Amino acid sequence: MSDEQLINDIISGNHAAFKSLMEKYQQQVFRTVMGFVHTKEDAEEVTQDVFIRVYQSLSTFQHNAEFSTWLYRITVNASLNALRSNRKNRLLQSLETIFSLRSEEKTPLEELEYAERNKRIGEAIDSLPEKQRTAFILSRYEELPQKKIAAVMNRSEGAIEQLLQRAKENLKKKLSIP
Amino acid sequence: MKTEQHIDEFIRREKETIPNPYLSTRVMAKIEGLEKVERKKNTLWQTLALAAGMAAVAFLGVSIGSSDVKSGTKERILNINDRQIENLGYYNLGEDE
Repeated sequence: MSDEQLINDIISGNHAAFKSLMEKYQQQVFRTVMGFVHTKEDAEEVTQDVFIRVYQSLSTFQHNAEFSTWLYRITVNASLNALRSNRKNRLLQSLETIFSLRSEEKTPLEELEYAERNKRIGEAIDSLPEKQRTAFILSRYEELPQKKIAAVMNRSEGAIEQLLQRAKENLKKKLSIP
Repeated sequence: MKTEQHIDEFIRREKETIPNPYLSTRVMAKIEGLEKVERKKNTLWQTLALAAGMAAVAFLGVSIGSSDVKSGTKERILNINDRQIENLGYYNLGEDE
């Protein structure tokens, strides 16, 4: 069933259609949110908020853009809002998650180095300016083409290319310092 | 070059994270809960509106009733003193009495 058919069904009160739409896009939303918040629990919570928001504002969806583009916009906004309102808690949780990403084959010292490196990478991504971070996450986590990122962020493709270039440089700078 | 690899590895790990399989069920339950609250709110408003309407109608009825009494004729009190009324029994007496 196409997105348009599903949306029409949902607007006419079909709850099952919304569940189908959600199952279709859940992974996409969750992955994107994960790029911003880095913890499974927070990502699930934000994903839930995103779909509730989608359900409540679906009747206002104009079909001018693709549904997935509209959904990405809502996802990015919800993730940034969640980060702004829950910065302290998130930092502690993300450190816990990063430390829990360990491999059985590593020695304790290697594990410590691995955890430390993940922590630094997470912090470096989080410290990018909002627009650079959004472009970076959509490009690397979702592997979206620049044209799609431009549509989501309402910018030109050239601007997205610049944002991605600057994000890459900034990450290199931040991570090259021992 | 190594930094790039580490970033790729970090992103790959995060992308592999799978959400709770019951997430969609949880969201549906939440949406239904929100709709119930919304419906309850609407019912409450309807009840309040009905109560306010009834009170307004009662008040209006009382006001109209009161205004009608005020605009009517003046009250008159008939005070009858029985002692001053002529005893009609006298007129009923016969000649021979």
